[in-house]
Amino acid sequence: MAQVTIETTQKFLPVLRITLGWMFFSAFVRRVINVPDKLNPQSSLYVGGKILTFLPHAWSPVKGILIWVLENPTLLYDFLITFTALEAIFGLMMILGLFTRLSGFGLALLAWGMGPAAGWLGSTCLDEWQIASVEGAAALMFMLTGSRWLSIDQILHSKYPDGIKIGKIRIPLW
Amino acid sequence: MKTLEIIAIIFMLIVTGVTFGLYQINFQGFTHLTNYSKTPAYDLSGTRLYSNGTLLLNVTRTAGPDTYGGFIVLVQILYPNGTVLYQWTGQQLGMLPQSDIINEFPLHPAKPIHIGNYGVGILAPLGQNFVVKLQVPFHIKPGTYIVRVYDADGQYKAYGTEFQVTVTVS
Repeated sequence: MAQVTIETTQKFLPVLRITLGWMFFSAFVRRVINVPDKLNPQSSLYVGGKILTFLPHAWSPVKGILIWVLENPTLLYDFLITFTALEAIFGLMMILGLFTRLSGFGLALLAWGMGPAAGWLGSTCLDEWQIASVEGAAALMFMLTGSRWLSIDQILHSKYPDGIKIGKIRIPLW
Repeated sequence: MKTLEIIAIIFMLIVTGVTFGLYQINFQGFTHLTNYSKTPAYDLSGTRLYSNGTLLLNVTRTAGPDTYGGFIVLVQILYPNGTVLYQWTGQQLGMLPQSDIINEFPLHPAKPIHIGNYGVGILAPLGQNFVVKLQVPFHIKPGTYIVRVYDADGQYKAYGTEFQVTVTVS
């Protein structure tokens, strides 16, 4: 293994990385493994019903989209499956430290995307706002730092220190 | 190094802006803090009353906890001076047939709640918009009336708005 200087800060990034990834990956686990009825449109546990609870104070262009999706059950189902899959993929990538920067960008969009829809909800501690803000900020930080310790990116970096190049542009995936 | 610092500060400002922006827009946290998840609230826009006594009560549940309630336990038609013309209690509302409640969205439907022959009221899930068909057993004179609903907590107002609407019978 080539000698790589890893900054002190990089060594502490896994402290947050795994918890952050689990916040998203566990959503997939809950809906697919723990309680599969959450993705069953016939069940009263169907997570599609959550979208309905977003409506009253969702921001105006988003509200229209939510109503449209709620009135088209197949569209709603496809949306939920896609969202759950993205949470699973990007969440797992964050936990493993695989393409951490890309995962951070994806997770920031997923987290912040909740803000205009569900951001007003939260009976205890402005819950959805806290989720969107903290997870969005943390994820975007990982887009900027990457994570080159206790991660797959660390292995990739040692094997391909120059990263991916398309023409002359270097894509900083790790 | 200079470029790096500028980038770092730009991102710090963007992320902080998102956090503060969501805080202010969703909760008015920097001005008049409002949390719409605390108490149930209802909007009665679209409600219509006819001279033959038919009341099409259009309810949207606009606030309160997302996982439970609210429950409408009293519907009143009032004269403008506040005297009750006619009302339906939880006993009657809870015993309505499901077919008298028309939901806009198929998920989380509003429904009458009763325990045996004891009517409780109408369950109104957060976000649902529905019409309840009610019938006053006499004709109603032309004029202006107020239609009001009460939540199970005994209130007909929350967050500075009342769960009522003015209707005109012609």
